[in-house]
Amino acid sequence: MKRQVPLALCFLFGIAMILTQFSPHSYSQAVYREVIVWGLIISPFALVLAVATLAQTHVSRIRFRSEHWQYSIVVFVGMITMVCVGVPFGPKNSVFEWLYDNVQVPMDATMFSLLAFFIASAAFRAFRARAFEATLLLIAAMIVMLGNVPVGDLFWNKLLSLIPGSDNPESWVNSFADGASRFRQWILDIPNGAARRGIILGVSLGVISQSIRIILGIERSYLGGGD
Amino acid sequence: MLEKFMNMDRRIIFILVALVVIIPTLIPVRLPITVSEPTQKLYDFIEELPSGSTIMMAFDYGPSSLAEPEPMAKAVMQHCFSKGVRVIGMTLYPNTPTLADKLMRKIADENNAVYGQDYVFLGYRPGTLPVILGMGTNIANVFETDYAKTPITEIPIMENITNYDQIDLLLDLSAGSLTEAWIIYANTRYGLKIAAGVTAVIIAQMYPYLQSGQLVGMLPGYLGAAQYEKLLNAPGDGTVGLNTASFAHLLIIVLVILGNVAFFIRQEREA
Amino acid sequence: MTNSKSTLWVVACLVFFLCGTYAFSQEPAAPTNVTAKDTPNDDGSSITITWDAASEDSGVVGYKILRNSDAGEFEEIGKQLDANVTVYKDKTIIKGKTHAYIVRAVYDNETSMYSAQTAAVKAKGQWFHTGKVALFLAMLLFSAAILWNIYHARSGKEVFVRRIPGLEAVEEAIGRATEMGRSILYILGLGDVDNVATIASMTILGQVARRTADYETPLRVPCRDPVVLNVVREMVKTSYLDEGRPDAYNEDDIFFLTNEQFAYAAGVNGMMIREKPAAIFLQGQFYAESLLMAETGNSIGAIQIAGTDSEHQLPFFIAACDYTLIGEELYAATAYLSKDPLFLGSLRGQDWGKVVIFAGIIFGVSLEFFGINWITTLLQRVS
Repeated sequence: MKRQVPLALCFLFGIAMILTQFSPHSYSQAVYREVIVWGLIISPFALVLAVATLAQTHVSRIRFRSEHWQYSIVVFVGMITMVCVGVPFGPKNSVFEWLYDNVQVPMDATMFSLLAFFIASAAFRAFRARAFEATLLLIAAMIVMLGNVPVGDLFWNKLLSLIPGSDNPESWVNSFADGASRFRQWILDIPNGAARRGIILGVSLGVISQSIRIILGIERSYLGGGD
Repeated sequence: MLEKFMNMDRRIIFILVALVVIIPTLIPVRLPITVSEPTQKLYDFIEELPSGSTIMMAFDYGPSSLAEPEPMAKAVMQHCFSKGVRVIGMTLYPNTPTLADKLMRKIADENNAVYGQDYVFLGYRPGTLPVILGMGTNIANVFETDYAKTPITEIPIMENITNYDQIDLLLDLSAGSLTEAWIIYANTRYGLKIAAGVTAVIIAQMYPYLQSGQLVGMLPGYLGAAQYEKLLNAPGDGTVGLNTASFAHLLIIVLVILGNVAFFIRQEREA
Repeated sequence: MTNSKSTLWVVACLVFFLCGTYAFSQEPAAPTNVTAKDTPNDDGSSITITWDAASEDSGVVGYKILRNSDAGEFEEIGKQLDANVTVYKDKTIIKGKTHAYIVRAVYDNETSMYSAQTAAVKAKGQWFHTGKVALFLAMLLFSAAILWNIYHARSGKEVFVRRIPGLEAVEEAIGRATEMGRSILYILGLGDVDNVATIASMTILGQVARRTADYETPLRVPCRDPVVLNVVREMVKTSYLDEGRPDAYNEDDIFFLTNEQFAYAAGVNGMMIREKPAAIFLQGQFYAESLLMAETGNSIGAIQIAGTDSEHQLPFFIAACDYTLIGEELYAATAYLSKDPLFLGSLRGQDWGKVVIFAGIIFGVSLEFFGINWITTLLQRVS
């Protein structure tokens, strides 16, 4: 019974939502809108569950003096401060905004900025022309990187200007101007577009197949495993 | 020596990256900018909108990644206000409302736009898909009030706006893959025209949608913001950011070339 | 004689002038062929009115629509339409009532001409969207292919699955962690419980947990979503129970870290550096944090198996991890690891879908080469 009810609900709502995609009638659209509203109502409960789970995890850490339990106190201090400032006075009050601008924004931005450092180190370590395919990828990546920024066209046009006759505006050389950005665009439009479509098609079929398994109750992992 | 270089301590690379990011920020360089087709398409679309049209801007990025989408938002809003196009802002990110609200007000002040008449910020509602789908039937069902808690029935800009039928374009400023959700649910189901302003890392992912016409235009990262600023003839944060990105790109290219040279020399020696 | 010749000239000139005037300045005319029909494929909330376009030099500057309800008075609705418009969808109808329409042509000299009244129409909602027949059939066929293959696989017929190195390495990674006496870190990504990649990742975790239960290797799972956390706890517990090792299951090893993307990345990186797990699984939906975690994992020398359908993160995983499951390989993982005929069958059905799409692409492209484009037009019409 513990499994049958959610499986039946999943089947019922899954089939109903698929059918509403093919039926424009006001009754079926009313069902569709109703389910959307239910979804909107249910979504915030996940946030309540998040707070409850967070509190539960960190209370048990403090109680059992787990390793680094002191940091769990920091979690509660941060949480209580934001709640005390945000809930009674709203998110538009100056203290909340100050905390947001000067604590959350810089901390988040710092973590994101690490990406630039990690990309550089990963590219240096992993981008090696070990085989023919890797060499092709390497060349394509170089062109896209150069074409991504104005420096690429600047270099390219400087190189073109070294070719005799390039100072004549009618010269064939000038039809190759801004080559870095144009070649980058070609790589993104054609080879990248083709490969990505292939992946999207495969992933989409996978998603449809997974969805059919979920609706029919074959895939039950979202219920926590077991039969 | 060769082995040492190839297995260089990553902290040395980190220092080099820090230097190429900091120096161009302090010493600005003006680099020539070529406008790409996706940016031009978005610009042309907004340029052709008659005065009184409405676009919706989804601020789907967090504080972490604001560096790229914010200059895009500035440039596009500046363009809209100069043409009398109205802007409705909203977000699907829970920690973005404060950020987006402040940004919209700042840009509006700079362009003498009036809140409630020229623009409005609706704020955040939880549940990504229900929000996108829900606004397709009735925006007021999802956002009963704006971010400042004013009922949207009392906001002049929302008077004749019920759902996506009255929105001429949705510009999704995104640091993740939410643009795809907008395309799948708002464009396919409701026919809402969609454009994207995305961070550089997901540019390649968006190209198939541009080619299929599901995206009417796109601003690709800093480059897109700088290109839009060029079209408006108003260089701003995008242009400055692009200069910094240029040198960081060059550093990575140089590192990859050096790494490969060392790799080939080692292979030659081993052979 | 001269007099009659002059009279003839005057008459000829007059006729010519009158003909010219008639030819170059047409009288205002009422819109013709005005029809009102229930809009097809909608929920019964609109009626579509069409009329013939006026000629370019007619002097029409716009149109206005008049409507009545249940044979009552006619009233103007909506704004004035542009002169080049010939279709109007009236979305303001009163449901259950019949409406008739008149189209008023507005001329540049401020005169108006009214069309004849259309027949009264009542809007009705349609139960099936005829424009989506092809899509509906495609969905039915694909679902049938999957179900047929599942049925076939259950009958015991062997299904071939190509080798996926990333999944072959699962045993190796767990074995290595066991030998080194270190833990395994399993990261489910940022997806919610309704995300297909997260569901696939949870299924792989179930299989990994069966093996860690056997080897008694600690399995640590920091979660970003509280709903996912509860499901995962149940799932891992079930795996340990199935393997007869409920005593080895430790609920505290599966815990909620944070909902914030980069705080989550920071927390996971901290765990990697402090605990130095021997194997790291990064399976599910990832964004910019992918490289932050994979690079840190690489720096501690852990064997890393990644898998995601977020194709924009694939290059990062390929650069920093030992094995990467690309796109749908992640979904295939359940079938591959469990060898369950139900999953293997659906995998085969998926491949059938791919073959059909592939054949369609080849066929469509070949036809396009010869200038035949009906297949392209057909696909463009499917919405």
